[in-house]
Amino acid sequence: MSASAAPISAERGPVPREAGIGLRFPHHQAVLDERPRVAWLEVHTENYLGGGTPLAYLEAIRRDYPIALHCVGFSLGSAEGLDLGHLDRVHRTVERIGPALVSEHLSWSIAEGRYLADLLPLPMTEEALDIVCRHVDQTQTVLKRRILVENPSTYLRWRHSTIPEWEFLAAVAHRTGCGILCDVNNIYVSACNHGWDPSTYLAALPPAAIGELHLAGHNVRQLEGGRTLRIDDHGSRVIPRSGNSTPRRWRDLARFPP
Amino acid sequence: MPRLLEIQRAVGRSIIGGDDAFAARYVLADGLPPEARLGIYRNNFTGTLTAALKLCYPAVHRLVGAEFFEGAARIFISAEPPRRADLDANGEGFPEFLAGFPPAGAPSYLAGVARLEWAVNRALHAPDMEPLDLARLGAVAAADRDRIAFLPHPSVALVEVDHPVDAIWRAVLAQDDNAMAAIDLDAGPVRLLVERRATGVEVTRLEEPAWRFAAALCASRLLQTAIDTAPEVDAAALLAEHLAAGRFIGFELVDGPITSGLHS
Repeated sequence: MSASAAPISAERGPVPREAGIGLRFPHHQAVLDERPRVAWLEVHTENYLGGGTPLAYLEAIRRDYPIALHCVGFSLGSAEGLDLGHLDRVHRTVERIGPALVSEHLSWSIAEGRYLADLLPLPMTEEALDIVCRHVDQTQTVLKRRILVENPSTYLRWRHSTIPEWEFLAAVAHRTGCGILCDVNNIYVSACNHGWDPSTYLAALPPAAIGELHLAGHNVRQLEGGRTLRIDDHGSRVIPRSGNSTPRRWRDLARFPP
Repeated sequence: MPRLLEIQRAVGRSIIGGDDAFAARYVLADGLPPEARLGIYRNNFTGTLTAALKLCYPAVHRLVGAEFFEGAARIFISAEPPRRADLDANGEGFPEFLAGFPPAGAPSYLAGVARLEWAVNRALHAPDMEPLDLARLGAVAAADRDRIAFLPHPSVALVEVDHPVDAIWRAVLAQDDNAMAAIDLDAGPVRLLVERRATGVEVTRLEEPAWRFAAALCASRLLQTAIDTAPEVDAAALLAEHLAAGRFIGFELVDGPITSGLHS
């Protein structure tokens, strides 16, 4: 399970302002049997788009815990448009579960109708900003609710990008009214990979738009020539930041209202 | 400046086909070659989809071992990249791919086991749908009964395979070497009904005529045609059993309007 920190939306939702945890299949029965003391649970939506056992478990768990549906398959940044079949399947699950939060990533995953099974980085351009905003609007209209958009971990940048990622994400929130899922691990990973200052990133995010924080671990890969690259896996332990960066990071996060 | 659509198509060609020529021109190197950066995403693509295929085809994986499976998966994934983000919905073509894959040590029944595993996976993840309301069926006028064609529940599949793959599948998943050794691989074809019941997915072996009848019904052939297909079975008794088990979600009167639960 990966850890998620308190949702700290300015709009009070049904998710309590306490830490929730990510829920995976092997723990379904244990949650029902043991009723762990946790404020809310987050699942990957795409694992619950069919029927049968997974959805039946989620419905049972939903009776006792608020659920956050975390999506990876919308491909909000696809220039060829959203997959309406996928949007419809997610919509059905949203209607059935009645989640407290629905989130998706600032990324793209589909090209020429093929799913590339990762959260790919967008060129940070005005064209991409328009496309993402159009798709966030479309998603929020179909789901009839506000969604949160999460910053991804990235391993490459495009030469023709003109907008810093933090300004891009803030602009998406400003233009569409969506919230932001601030993944602290992903900010750290991308900042290390691209030489950004995480404090600059956090300072640029509008506090009122933050609807949830993610904390997780990642993997550090050694490359030739002594360089390292950080790869998000959301499975490793949360990495303690070294030196004096930790208190500074928490000070940055303290801007977000409790 | 390239349009977003061009970039995305180029990255698709890089990740799926390994052709970095266009995409790499637009990637900032920043201490690491663009091809290496694109390679991270290609590895994630292959790794994620191979893991999803393993979940869908656990008996195939055990039968051939990790190295064979991963090699076959890599070729299959680039030949048939997924169309859907819910990964349970992908991999339908893997059995046919395995059937044509050079059989370097692969058992002859491998593709048959894969076909059964796809049917099981499909049954596991099929959407929940209400079974046919029998009162609706009862309301059909006697003169219209010949025009009935049933709509099967999406979890139901009828699979016909040349080897006793149901026994192989059970023995492999149970890691039961004695059961595996006791299987007569030349026992001839088996005809299976795969479906999701309240208790889980069930795989049932049917006699050939009963399977033929069920297959015709589930292919939405006319009821009368299905009966004519299998004159040797007790059609009324078998139909009653299928209806009681909730294997249909509706029916249509051919050349007439759909009166199923599909649209209710």
